[in-house]
Amino acid sequence: MKILVIEDNKELASSIHDYLAGENYICELAFSATEAREKLLFFTYDCIILDIMLPDGNGLELLNLVKEEHINGSILIISAKGALDDKIKGLEEGADDYLTKPFHLPELHARLRAIHRRKNLDGNNIISFKEITLNTNTFELKIHGKALDATRKEFELLLYFLVNKNRVLSRQAIANHLWGDYTDNLSNVDFVYQHVKNLRKKINMAGGDDYIDTIYGLGYKFNTNKG
Amino acid sequence: MFTTLSNIRNRIDNSEIERLKAVNNEVAEQLKAGIAPDQYSQGRPIAILKINSALPQNRVQVQKQQCDSTASVTDECRITVSCYYTINGINYQVSSYNYVTQSKQILKGMLLTAILKTVLIALVVLLTVRLVSKKILSPFNQTLKSIQKFSIKKKQPLTLNHTNTKEFQELNRFLKKMTDKAIKEYSLVKEFSENASHELQTPLAVLRSKLELLTETDIQQNQASLIADMQNAIEKLSRINHSLLLLTKLENQEFEATKEINFTKQVLELLTIYEDRIAIKELKVTQHIDPDITVRINPALADMLFDNLLSNAIRHNVKNGTIFLEINKKGILIKNTGPEPIFPTEELFQRFKKSNQCSNSVGLGLAIVKRICELNNFDVQYTYENRLHMLTVDFPRAGLTETDREEGISVLGQDNQIVTLG
Repeated sequence: MKILVIEDNKELASSIHDYLAGENYICELAFSATEAREKLLFFTYDCIILDIMLPDGNGLELLNLVKEEHINGSILIISAKGALDDKIKGLEEGADDYLTKPFHLPELHARLRAIHRRKNLDGNNIISFKEITLNTNTFELKIHGKALDATRKEFELLLYFLVNKNRVLSRQAIANHLWGDYTDNLSNVDFVYQHVKNLRKKINMAGGDDYIDTIYGLGYKFNTNKG
Repeated sequence: MFTTLSNIRNRIDNSEIERLKAVNNEVAEQLKAGIAPDQYSQGRPIAILKINSALPQNRVQVQKQQCDSTASVTDECRITVSCYYTINGINYQVSSYNYVTQSKQILKGMLLTAILKTVLIALVVLLTVRLVSKKILSPFNQTLKSIQKFSIKKKQPLTLNHTNTKEFQELNRFLKKMTDKAIKEYSLVKEFSENASHELQTPLAVLRSKLELLTETDIQQNQASLIADMQNAIEKLSRINHSLLLLTKLENQEFEATKEINFTKQVLELLTIYEDRIAIKELKVTQHIDPDITVRINPALADMLFDNLLSNAIRHNVKNGTIFLEINKKGILIKNTGPEPIFPTEELFQRFKKSNQCSNSVGLGLAIVKRICELNNFDVQYTYENRLHMLTVDFPRAGLTETDREEGISVLGQDNQIVTLG
């Protein structure tokens, strides 16, 4: 997957670059609207990560450019502005998703993948890893081809793990992914623990391997080298 | 008053004396002519005396005889004027007297009219002052009314009626300048806090992402716990920032209630989101939610309001605790078990005020609830009774106009039967 990151903060841009490069994506950076405009007109990208507030122009103008020039590629907006009006405006202008700063890198990745899945509707809504199969359309979870009765949250949790394989996912990042805006003031960490525990138990009961590692006090990791 | 009185009295006396003098002269003329004068010549009692001694120096003598009110019924005073003449070699004393009205009588008459006049004048003055001041001060009163209605938070500049009075023009000009400046400064401050919160988001994102990348590297357990602590701090920081930003937006009135929304629907949606958290804490939820309750509020605010109420009830609850939820057209009542509050409950509406037990909460939730309620003219109360935390939100009554609502609070207060329910 080829991605253009338009973000004026160099540290943040490099963080995104580093994380996505780890997933073997080709990731290019643009630090200003002018730079971004050039790149958008000359190259094609699968996905564009766009910061709304840029030093030399509003990111929404770039969004218009993409629409007017019929540039391919899904757009994910990242902005410090969480205001509803900005969000709706961005989505109306043709953005595919919206993420408010400060976001978690695994969350950004998960969103990118979700947009990508939606955009490329070639019937490939099955995500599988060894004995685990997830259907993102029907929210069906199968272990060894046998359906597993998991809650929606457990399904989303496993999907999150599978998208961010071999990555350390902090409890906050998981809570944020599962409950979004409704992550009430930090106490979710316990709830994350409960959900992970339940998910592990269910997969175990169905005869699946336990790929989820607990990383010290940090969080969890879906370890593909296990089993 | 008394100078007038003595003046009048003197005038009366003097004119009487003059007249008596004239009478005396007349009598003297008659004597000269040899006519024996009548005792009551010219309607006045005359006394003619022949004097053997020489004429006194003063040819005219006046004698005032104050009459005793007990002695004289008429309340009058006798003035006797004696004149001395030498007619045909014989000295005569011609004296005549008359009664004049006593000063007391004059005073009485004067006093009565004076009082009457004073009262009349006072009445007229009062009336005119009232009318005139009403007319003259009407621009002032209008200005006063406008100032009383003025609220810096509403950001509407003060509108003052035009006046022709120079002083009021000056006053209005000054007030206008002052309020405009206040509004400007206020919005600048608000803008600053909003911008500051926004500017913080990017560095926070950098910190968070760098830490996440750090966890990917080969780290030891002690390093991991350090990172975890940092991540917690960043999480908290970002939450505080988020809540402060929200409060600022609320202060800036960025959420307008444009239409009536189906509150019940929103509540039920939120309840499903919190279902798993309720289940994990093994809470027992009793709910009485009336169908299709419509409330005039911004949908995002309705969401935040109930989100904060519900998440508070879950977070500050104990394991196996209970939540009682009642929502009808009068308002929301949410009761939950939980540790006893340390502060008086009303204080918990203040920013960053929180009970110690839940140190990882930010302490802005109830401040947000309060602000949302204030914006929508809801009445919110927090009490702790029978070991239950009880939060009530009263919706304004349907059909109340904007101005009625402020007065309506007391009415709603009496109608607060929700509190005693259950």
